[in-house]
Amino acid sequence: MTDAIRIDDISKRYAGHVAVDRLSLAVPAGTIYGILGPNGAGKSTTLRMIMNIIGRDSGSISMLGADPAADRKVLRRVGYLPEERGLYKKMKVLDVIVFFAALKGVPEAQGRTQGREWLERMGLSEWENARVETLSKGMQQKVQFITTILHRPDLLILDEPASGLDPVNQEVLRDTILGARSEGRTVLFSTHNMDQAEQLCEHVCIIAEGRKVLDGNLREVKRSHMGNRYEVEFERESPAIQEQLRPGNGTFTTVTALRDGTAFELELSRGADTHTVLGVLSRIDVPILRFARVQPSLHEIFVQRVTGAVTPHRRPEEAHV
Amino acid sequence: MSETMLIIKREFRSRVQSKMFVVGTIIFPVFLVALLLISGSSDGGKHLRVAVVDQAPSTVGERFIQLLSVPRADSEGNTYTVDRIAAPLEGVRDSLNRLVAQKALDAYIVLPSNILEGDSVLYRARSIPGAQIRTEVRQAASRAVQGERLEAAGLRAEQVAALVQPVSLSSTRVTAQGEQGGTDASVFIFAYVVAFLIYFMTLFYGISVLRSVLEEKTNRISELMVSSVNAQSLMIGKVIGGGSAAILQVAIWAAFVAIAATQSSFLTQRFGISAQALQVLHIAPATGGLFLLYFILGFFLFAAVFAAMGAAVTSEQEAQSLQMAAILPLIIPLMLIGSIATDPLGTKATVLGLVPFTSPIAMPMRIAAAAIPPAQIALSVVLLALSVVAVSWVAGKIYRVGILSTGKRPSFQELMRWIRTA
Repeated sequence: MTDAIRIDDISKRYAGHVAVDRLSLAVPAGTIYGILGPNGAGKSTTLRMIMNIIGRDSGSISMLGADPAADRKVLRRVGYLPEERGLYKKMKVLDVIVFFAALKGVPEAQGRTQGREWLERMGLSEWENARVETLSKGMQQKVQFITTILHRPDLLILDEPASGLDPVNQEVLRDTILGARSEGRTVLFSTHNMDQAEQLCEHVCIIAEGRKVLDGNLREVKRSHMGNRYEVEFERESPAIQEQLRPGNGTFTTVTALRDGTAFELELSRGADTHTVLGVLSRIDVPILRFARVQPSLHEIFVQRVTGAVTPHRRPEEAHV
Repeated sequence: MSETMLIIKREFRSRVQSKMFVVGTIIFPVFLVALLLISGSSDGGKHLRVAVVDQAPSTVGERFIQLLSVPRADSEGNTYTVDRIAAPLEGVRDSLNRLVAQKALDAYIVLPSNILEGDSVLYRARSIPGAQIRTEVRQAASRAVQGERLEAAGLRAEQVAALVQPVSLSSTRVTAQGEQGGTDASVFIFAYVVAFLIYFMTLFYGISVLRSVLEEKTNRISELMVSSVNAQSLMIGKVIGGGSAAILQVAIWAAFVAIAATQSSFLTQRFGISAQALQVLHIAPATGGLFLLYFILGFFLFAAVFAAMGAAVTSEQEAQSLQMAAILPLIIPLMLIGSIATDPLGTKATVLGLVPFTSPIAMPMRIAAAAIPPAQIALSVVLLALSVVAVSWVAGKIYRVGILSTGKRPSFQELMRWIRTA
């Protein structure tokens, strides 16, 4: 598989601090890739360097086979949604769409036709001649998506795309990202929302304080962070359960009752494995409804790897979206 | 279409399609025509009822009244109906003042008893007399006094009339093309209109560039734009887009003026503007081209400064305090318009015509008022063009960093760092 983006050893220093420190990553073509990190980790700076909006101090960037700093034309094949975004308020909706598409090389007539199609798809058909300022914030966000994607970019770069979106538009965004993926486009986006990343991404890169903490295929990342925790659920309560599932008997370090005493989370002692657990469970003569090894959530991996950096910085309005 | 062209087109359209553009396009010619009408017409052509309190010796009073009452051939001349009062001023002053206040009289004139020894003639009316009335009254009084003195010296009345015939002054500009048309007032007004127009258009459209930069910044459009266009093209597009809207507006006005110039005879008859005054509207193509060149270069110079300002500030309020500093060099030649237009070849005018930030206004003003040596014009244009390049270069650096920086306004040191690092 080729890489849509490959960055090697890039750094960016500002007066007094290092925003990005020798970062390398590769975004495989045709995948959805998430850059995760707490606020101020250097996500936006990285994306801006990829887009050549700000210059890098060192390192190399290849995007769709070209360095945008040397070859600006490659930017026409990219749809970029900055974290700080807006539209010309006095322009008409369709005119704004046509203008941004034209900047990406879409002829005006084509931009007009496709703009109408997109407005229809987003349920904004009757607004095409309204001034942008007369639209609600949610509608403006939809228009913003259209301007990002109308020119059929091979690569979408979205900086905190979900920030400030209402739940309806989060769905629209999700559909847009998944739709782009199914059309063979590559999507790179940054977020500090782990649930969203977990739902969408095939690959992730976690950065903190400008440095890469880990990256890779999400499944593999999760597998490599697989803990030694299991969940078990019985059909009913029984004294045998209490007797067998006891911490400190050499198999479990902790046993946490979930729900009403029929389900438990078990953390294994060093040296114990799945078979040891199954051996213990076989001594309980209550039917087992469910038994599974607990997959760590991305959030847990994130917190574990970026200790202390995430919780105090999370923006409350975006923490649970 | 190139990215820069797209920006130019958008900036041009957003201005030309605004209501302000349409209103401004109509209002300015109205203002210009009104100005010409006011300058073209004088306070003359009226009929005045005056009383003359005649305390002058001998026949001075009679001569004065006769000279004043004579109808004037000139269309701008006034006619006077005169009542002679022989009583001393002290006795009649109150009643005369009352008559003037009640508008039964337009004015009363007092010829003092020792007028031959040089005492002033008094003119009392509801308002200070205009230039025309002033001239007529003074001429009549002077001729009456001169006649009286000459007769006292032994000349006959007929000789006196011929001797004191007044002389009129006709002034015209001389250039390499020979004598050029226009009356004193119309040349001055033309120079003023050209200067004011360049000042107004540079300011109005320059500040609209600042607004447009600030709009992209405050509405968070800048980053989206620079993801497609480089900052330099964006700034150039904004400056040219704004400038071309200004030029379109001027072109519309120039068309108005061209039409007005072909209708001289109509304007002369209908509004009483003298044909000579209208001569000034026949602008030589080379002169018009120079005006345009100065406007374009001046606009680029100031628009670049305004663009950098728009990028450096974070709100309209901050922008306003900075604007004053940029506008100042434009205001200096306007404040000195009197000395530039009346002495266009003087030192003050020459210096202001060469200094880049004042030359876009001072030089066209001089060119409108007199024949300026071509070498001076060439030097002034070269200096201005070099400044445009230098200022745009610095402004571009501030612009590039500024449009992406949010938060507080940068300090002077930070601005310097932007210029160094960008």
